[in-house]
Order: sequence, then structure tokens, then C-alpha cells
Amino acid sequence: MTHAPTTPNFRQNVREAMADAPLMEQMTTALTGSMARRAGAAGAVPEFDALRDAGRDLKNHVLEHLDVYLETYEQAVTDAGGHVHWAETAEEARAIILDICRKAGAKTVNKGKSMISEEIGLNDYLEENGVKPVETDLGEYIIQLRKETPSHIIAPAMHVNVPQWREAFRKFHPHLPQDRDLEGLDKLLLEARGELRRKYFEAEVGITGANMLIAETGQSVIVTNEGNGDLSQSLAKVHIVLASLEKIVPTLEDASTVLRLLARSATGQEMSVYTTFSSGPRRAEDPDGPEEYHVVLLDNGRSEMLGSDFQDMLRCIRCGACMNHCPVYRAVGGHAYGWVYPGPMGAVLTPALIGVTQGGNLPNASTFCGRCEEVCPMRIPLPKMMRHWREREFERKLSPKGMRRGMGAWAWAARRPGLYRIGASLAARALRLLGAGSIRRLPLAGRAWTQTRDFPAPQKGGTFLAQWNPDAEGRRKGGAA
Amino acid sequence: MSSRVRILANLRRRLEEGRPAAERAEGVAARLRLAGAQTAPRPAASRLEGAEALARFEEKLRAVDASVSHVPGFSSLPQALAEELRARNLPAAVRMGEDFDLVSLDWSGLEATRGPGRIEEPATLSRAVCGAAETGTVALRSGPANPVTLTFLGETHFIVLRRSEIVPGLEELWARVRRSGAQPRTVNLVTGPSRSADIGGVLQLGAHGPVAVHVFIVDA
Ligand code: SF4
Repeated sequence: MTHAPTTPNFRQNVREAMADAPLMEQMTTALTGSMARRAGAAGAVPEFDALRDAGRDLKNHVLEHLDVYLETYEQAVTDAGGHVHWAETAEEARAIILDICRKAGAKTVNKGKSMISEEIGLNDYLEENGVKPVETDLGEYIIQLRKETPSHIIAPAMHVNVPQWREAFRKFHPHLPQDRDLEGLDKLLLEARGELRRKYFEAEVGITGANMLIAETGQSVIVTNEGNGDLSQSLAKVHIVLASLEKIVPTLEDASTVLRLLARSATGQEMSVYTTFSSGPRRAEDPDGPEEYHVVLLDNGRSEMLGSDFQDMLRCIRCGACMNHCPVYRAVGGHAYGWVYPGPMGAVLTPALIGVTQGGNLPNASTFCGRCEEVCPMRIPLPKMMRHWREREFERKLSPKGMRRGMGAWAWAARRPGLYRIGASLAARALRLLGAGSIRRLPLAGRAWTQTRDFPAPQKGGTFLAQWNPDAEGRRKGGAA
Repeated sequence: MSSRVRILANLRRRLEEGRPAAERAEGVAARLRLAGAQTAPRPAASRLEGAEALARFEEKLRAVDASVSHVPGFSSLPQALAEELRARNLPAAVRMGEDFDLVSLDWSGLEATRGPGRIEEPATLSRAVCGAAETGTVALRSGPANPVTLTFLGETHFIVLRRSEIVPGLEELWARVRRSGAQPRTVNLVTGPSRSADIGGVLQLGAHGPVAVHVFIVDA
């Protein structure tokens, strides 16, 4: 399911999200332990920071040589019997995919999790054109049933609570007995497994995303925990990989560096369950696997980011750590951001992809605590880039008037972290005097801000930065698709 | 002008400022020449050898909810597998590919069939290229010897490899995969049974793929 961006209504979205008590409760449940898991996994590897440096350097190298890498990669795909399709825009990518589906005579398309698919609004388009898309990742499956968009890049159904899973399964699986027992979580999982297992054998086309594209070998890589992406690509006649062009890494050894960072940062796992390297169609002697292999390489504004203030964002490996650690994301959830990419990475990427007029509100969704950059495995300077956007938005006079006035002072202080921190800590103490719970009116520059939103009163124990202690969180095992 | 041409032209225009085309081409060629050689830091824990590697491999497998056992030689695999199936209350049947080490064994005590995965496969068996001690990860090559669908459709997935195929880390894993023959349609790195925490934030095993993974290590 894809919707038009609601990013311009960010403030309204935030108000609504924060008034939604079950959502707030579910976000707390879903995010509990996420920071501790990442801290545990990263802390267990003494070389983790050195790996992050290597990850940053390798992606910088790729971006600086991107044209040559893409041609090298394309050649390797072709040599393995696959096809590369280049798409400048979302429309073009959709048309290419529909064309491949039509040629394959596809009525149904199974899909592994792909944020690019959300970005280009693929599902609606296929459906309008008579091809039924079936999301097979559990999280994507439930939100497709509920006609929603993902609220997190690796756990798309983070916002859905257990009663809502039950309700959706009863409603959308009408062929099963209405009085069946769906009490235990295992019952829900088994039902989804049974429903989807059948579908893997029905679809003519399987579409997956790609965590990486390897220039050396022409392989596309998916990293998952469920196995749905693999069933989708291995049982269909045609495998389509939908990937954006910055996903290139040079060699298998470089892929190892990314893999050592990705799962630890995302779910705190050392390695996700399935890391699959695919190239070309099934070989002549193979008993299974797809008969055709297509890669759709999407630009959609990314090449414009090269050489700009936002180039570093193209290093992102979509681990989700920045949102798991973001006090704003944790407080408002992913849907408030109004488009495909939420959290700090979304606040930077969204204006770059859909324009500052549409997405320019998002970089305001930051406390500039710096946690996102501290945990980003690719060392992306997210706060700095959010500041760039805010400055641009400010220059374009898109900010509401009150915000523009306060901004000068804020921008001055924000460029001086020490001062900002002292100021923030003083402000927090003052705020506690103003009231417990939520604060409806802030003095001075804060006034305009609280006219449209309530400012959560700071808790005891100092500023967000001062009290941050991921180790204090409950430890819980977890994984995402 | 095609999108390909336009995208590449746009990239070139932007990259040209930093580095001329010839330098970019050389930069890529130099990097690709490093394929197979160490270019990045690696965790010390990915460098264990011999008995230490074996111990870590088993420890990591258990940590990801897989189980592991040893057999003295390939010839004792059918019986060990039959016992595992019995202990798990599974039918005495297994699906596998045409791997040389497997087809030459005496499977008469089991209903052993060969071919790709079908919609219901209580038990499947794959022959791994190698396993990395670093994370308890095994590498599988798709093909007639190991149909890829067996890795994902088996309710319980059995994987067999020789003790000598347990390597320290991902670097050695890639070295073995590169040496194992022409690039297959898929190389599958498997680290435990499938799982999801999507429902209620609680981790459950057996999302779409196997509910259980058992690794047999052939000691000789
Ligand atoms: S910006 Fe960094 S932390 Fe956020 S998703 Fe991308 S790689 Fe992960």
C-alpha cells in the first residue's frame, strides 16, 4: 500500500500520533530493548569502530567511482545471463516492472521486503494494472492487509499490536473457521506461514529488494531472517531485483564488512539468518530457481545527491539504528513522518527525494541529541545534514514565522555543541518548574513551537544526553525480517 | 537518449570534478584486484583456527538456536539422521539433492528422495561448502547437488559438512566458495533457523523457512 506523502502535515501527524494511546503503548513495547541489543552486539566486537571506519571508507570510495562501478556491475550481471534495467524515475521503474510481469503472463507477484518498492509506489500501480502483489514478509503482509505503510524500515509493522494482528487475520482469512484459536502468538505465526506457503507456489514473478549489489560478481544480496525473500525469488519463474544505484559494493570481502555492521546495528544479531547472493537465472543443469533474472536500477534523485551536502546519506545501509535511538521517532512512531523513510535517515533522505517543499518539515523532527550519528554504522553525519535542510528551509522562508525568528538564535547555539548542551540542560531544569507531564506553552523562542504541539516535560535526571544509558534497558532477543 | 545514458552522463558530470575518468577507471580496477585479499579490519574472533574454531562454530550455532552433532564418517550419516528424525518425531523420510557425498551412501533405512523442494517437506538435507566459526554461518551453493528450495522449504533442515570445512571467518568462507566452482545461481549463507519478532515483538522460530536447523559435522 502506498499513499501520497503527508510530510507537509508533519505537525498534525505528530499531534495525532501522540494522542493515540494504543499506538504509544505499542511503540514502547516494540522498541524496548532495541538500543540494548545494538549496544550489546557492537560492544562484543572490539573492532566495531574500526569496521565502521572501513564501512564509511568503502562506501565513499564507491560513491566517488559510481559510474565505473555501475558499468562493471552491469557487465557482470549480463555475463551471468541477467538483465539490468535503468530507471531514472519512479514512474519508469514501475513501467519496467509491469512490462516484465506482463511478458511473464503474471497474475500474481510475490514480494520480499523492499523499501524501494514503497518509494516508487509499486503495489498500487501493479494492482491498478491487473497484477496482484502479495507481500510475503510478515510485517509487510499485515500492513498490506491493513492497507497501511511501513512505520519502520526493518520492522514495518512495528506499530501493529497483537489484538490488531488477530483482528486482521480473522477479517482477511475468511476461508478459515471463524471460531479458531488465535490466542497464542505461535498460532498467528503458523496461520501466516500456512497462508503464504501456498502463495509461494502460485506467483509467476518474485520481486525482492537488495541490501547490496556486488560489482565483482554481479550478485544481488538480500539479508533477511524469515526466508520469505528466498522463497519468493526461488519458486517464481522470474526474479526481479529492485535496487537503488548506491547499493553497490566492490567485492565479496567488502560485502563482509557491511554484513559485520548491518545485523549488529539493526537487531543486535551477529549475522541475520539468511544472507543470499543471487546472480542470473537458474543454470542449465539446475532443478530449481527462476528462469529469468532482472535488476531494476533506480536513481530517483540519488545521483543529484552526489557532490551535494547530502552525498554522505548515500552510504546508508538501512539498518534502522538511527530511528531506534531517536527520541523523536520513539515518541511519535514512523507514520508521523508521512512518507516511506522515517526517523533521522528519513528526515535527511525524504527532502532529497521528494523535495524540500514536501519534505522540508521533517528535519525539524530532531532534538539534535546526536545519538543517531553516534550509532550509525556508516558514520553518516545525520544531525549536520538535518541542519543543512533546516537552513535551506529557512532560506526559502518556508518556516512558519515564529519558527523563523527563534531559528537564528537556535542555529547559532546549535553550531556550538558545548553551549547548546549547557543551554539545553538549563532549559530542562527551567521546564521542570513549569509543569509535569506535557507543557503547553514555552517561553521565548519556544512559544511558536508549543502553539502547535505540546512539549514533553523533561524527566528527572538531566537532559536526554545526560540520562542516556542504553545498558539500563531490558535485554531481549529479537530479529527483524 | 536512454535512461541508462542519462544517468551515467549525470554521474560522470558530477564525479568528473573530483577525479577524471581515467583515474576513476584505475581506482575501480585496483580495488577489484583486491578481491580475495584482506582489505578491511576483521574481528579477532574471526581468526580462530583448529579446535578453537570448531568450539566457536558449535557455540555460535547453539546461540542461534541450531543444534549440532558429530558423525565419525559420511557412512554413518544415514543412521545418525534416522535417529535425529526419530528423536524429533518426524517421519523417516528426507529430501536431498544429487551431492556426490550423499548419493553414494546407503539410505535403505529411510525414505530418501532427491530433487527440489515441494510444498511440504518435513525434513531436507543439504551439503555445505563450508562453515564459518565467526558466526556459526554455513555456506551453500545452489545447483543439482543442493537444490536451493531445500534450504527454505524444509520444516527441519539438516546440513552436513566435514570438520576440515570449518573455517575461521567470512574471508576464508569466500575463499572456499570461490574455489568451489563456477558461480552458482545462489550462494546461501545460513545462520540458524528462520525467525521473526514481528508479532508482539516476541522472537519466534520458523517464520517462512525452517523451524529447526541441525548441523552434522563429519569428523573424518
Ligand atoms: S542512517 Fe545510518 S543508522 Fe540510519 S539506517 Fe542508515 S546506516 Fe542505519
